[in-house]
Amino acid sequence: MRMLALFEKGERLRHIGHLDIMRAMQRALRRSSLPVSYSKGFNPHILLGFASAMPVGAVGKCELMEVELDSDVDAGEFEKRMNEALPEDLKVFSCRPLPPHGPALMAQVCAASWHLKILDDDLRRRVQESIPSFLEKDEIPAMKKTKSGEKEVNIRPMILHLEAEEDGTLDMTLQMEESQSCKPSMLLESLLRHNGIQDFSVRYALTRDHLLGRHHDTLCYLEDIA
Amino acid sequence: MDLYADRIDDRIEAMLEKVQKASRYTGGEMNTQVKPWDKARLHYGFCFPDTYEVGMSHLGMKILYGLVNAQEDSVCERFFMPWTDMKALMEEEQVPLFSMESRRPLCDFDMIGFTLQYEMSYTNILAMMDLGRVHLLSRDRERDEPIVVAGGPCAFNPEPLADFIDAFMLGDGEEVTLDVTRTIRDWKESGEPRMECMKALSQIPGVYVPSLYETDYHEDGTIREMRRLWDGAPEKVRKCVVTDLNTAYYPMEIPVPYTEIIHDRIMLEIMRGCTRGCRFCQAGLLYRPVRERSLDRLMELAVSLEKSTGYEDISLSSLSSGDYTCLAELIRDLLRRFKQEHVSISLPSLRIDSILKESLEETQKERKTSLTFAPEAGTQRLRDVINKGVTESDLIEKVTDAFQGGWSSVKLYFMIGLPTETCEDLDGMADLCQKVNRCYFTVPKDQRAKGLRITASASSFVPKPFTPFQWVPQDTQEMLREKQQYLKEKMKTIKGVNFNYHESKTSYLEACFARGDRRLGRVLLRAYQKGCILDGWNELFRFDLWMEAFEEEGLDPAFYAFRARSRDEILPWDFIDAGVTKEFLWREYEKSQNAVVTPDCRKGCQGCGIHKWKGVCSYAHAGTV
Repeated sequence: MRMLALFEKGERLRHIGHLDIMRAMQRALRRSSLPVSYSKGFNPHILLGFASAMPVGAVGKCELMEVELDSDVDAGEFEKRMNEALPEDLKVFSCRPLPPHGPALMAQVCAASWHLKILDDDLRRRVQESIPSFLEKDEIPAMKKTKSGEKEVNIRPMILHLEAEEDGTLDMTLQMEESQSCKPSMLLESLLRHNGIQDFSVRYALTRDHLLGRHHDTLCYLEDIA
Repeated sequence: MDLYADRIDDRIEAMLEKVQKASRYTGGEMNTQVKPWDKARLHYGFCFPDTYEVGMSHLGMKILYGLVNAQEDSVCERFFMPWTDMKALMEEEQVPLFSMESRRPLCDFDMIGFTLQYEMSYTNILAMMDLGRVHLLSRDRERDEPIVVAGGPCAFNPEPLADFIDAFMLGDGEEVTLDVTRTIRDWKESGEPRMECMKALSQIPGVYVPSLYETDYHEDGTIREMRRLWDGAPEKVRKCVVTDLNTAYYPMEIPVPYTEIIHDRIMLEIMRGCTRGCRFCQAGLLYRPVRERSLDRLMELAVSLEKSTGYEDISLSSLSSGDYTCLAELIRDLLRRFKQEHVSISLPSLRIDSILKESLEETQKERKTSLTFAPEAGTQRLRDVINKGVTESDLIEKVTDAFQGGWSSVKLYFMIGLPTETCEDLDGMADLCQKVNRCYFTVPKDQRAKGLRITASASSFVPKPFTPFQWVPQDTQEMLREKQQYLKEKMKTIKGVNFNYHESKTSYLEACFARGDRRLGRVLLRAYQKGCILDGWNELFRFDLWMEAFEEEGLDPAFYAFRARSRDEILPWDFIDAGVTKEFLWREYEKSQNAVVTPDCRKGCQGCGIHKWKGVCSYAHAGTV
């Protein structure tokens, strides 16, 4: 069976990269003694998939992974045994079986919602005030890192939602599909540039709140439609 | 305290955003814990004087970390040497060196302990204390500063660190560590001055307190006398020996790092000590007598460690795993037990004359890595000099077995600069590589794995204390470099061979500190003040600054590295009883000069002196020699 697990990547682990988190999950699965399936072949590995790689520096509130199991396990039991095997800052908080032949989680992600809080109070206010004029633009150029270097892309259509909360924390939903993908750092740089700031070494706290998928052309929480 | 903690925490977070590999400093790994600080009577800061990746690969640290934390009244937290980028930020932001667990500064701990694995980590000890706001010199430390202790193989010549370390623990750490922590705990609660703690520590068997001794020198720089400054201090300090490994503490769970470290697996120490008596090998003599863990105990440990870590790899660890009495049985049992869990078993220090072909085939079922052989020298004569009881036909036979068994990658370890070495011995190394190459091609093409890779590594020999070569000079750098170049040219002509060698400057400095005396503390301090840190990392090693430091302190590095010592010279480590006697070592030295071999202890006791621990060495018979 395929099990869907929702987990949280805590504050302390925000600097731990995706591959390291993946390895930590694999080891936790091994410790849990759950009947996880292994790939065939010379170097068998656990069949485990993440919906999306997490950028280094971000906290994850609701990340998704899928695990292949050799035999059926009750979702509550899965959650309990995983949490016994996981370190403090990495915890599973909900599980349910996935349809056996559905597409991989990774193929279903369309967007993600984020919170980004610039730590400097003045700068945060300044950026907050500039949002309406920022969103009025038809084209927002941003630099995207690719394998072959940097290239300029227009991120305006990828900003699905952007507003500032009362304290200036940015609440945003950014598209995240293979061809059309905008990282929070790209948006932030554009916003800073919009404010005439060229130094992008701004300190901020970043949280990914949800991964989103599409259901009849409507964005929904990925865990609700997977 | 909390306000302070929050502020520091925020500054640490800001630094972590800027450094490379922040995962070195984050902590929170599986099987680590933040024990309540205020409830503990003793706070132990365990310091590994190198980076996280190196330190977390070290078995001894995992044992002692588990041991101290298993004591209800103690807290043990880890410290590592930060990389240069982090160090610079910490200095700039004035953030003290902080522990991995609770992020407390080093100076808050009651005691801090350094493990001394190699000489090139010494400047890191000073850097860590400095960053951690602990006075570098023992004599400058205040009543409420931590007691600084050190242990590990390099503690067997503690003198170059005598100015900085309050107490050294010699030998196996599992028991003496607890004696030391209790003594420090009681002293801390007693309110007595620091000197009382030093005296109390010196009464623990296996503990050396350098401030209770003083050394005088002859005009030629050799030692005249080492004097006790307090009558109660022992004249000789005898190393600690854990007599039974089955009852000795071993952790059932070990920290599992997020980031990849050098040895990222379960290390199962199957035995301690070695009966081979290779004359260059300090570990082989220091860790005597040989003690094995039982099959039952090892299975018990393997099962709980696999369960608690989720590691997919178990490596059998010891100086000479092939000599473990029931090796084939152990490997078979482990493979059988972990068949479902996809665990692979590896043997890191495989000796070419002991491993069974059967076990080779067993390990290969899981994964094929490269096989390592250590002939050390190129000719039989030189192998006899160093008492490496391995012959060319042994090597050829084992390598052929390996090639037939489907391996195509072989590593060969050699040393250059061994005593009595000549050009012929260097030619012998190339010759051996050539023969290994031929072995591969004698296996029919359809029966061998593709892509022959022979890696030949030549390290430079460093004479070490408590070995039969403790009296001999090291080759000069010119000699070593010439030999390296000569070999490089020779090896070029052999197909499939990749030759590499170590930087000779590092070996030179290592030789100075390995056999150095107390005066070298001044050089160490000066080199550190000039900016030497992380000397074990080639890209950061500043040989020029080290030479300046020697010069400014009026000491000659050649005196320590290139000088032949006479039999009656007082050596800086003579006050230590490491088990093996000086007479035995001298006898071995003389035999080496005539290329006479000494058989393995299992073939008859050679009277090394270790039999004074009654009944611990299974091969000792009193009265021999």
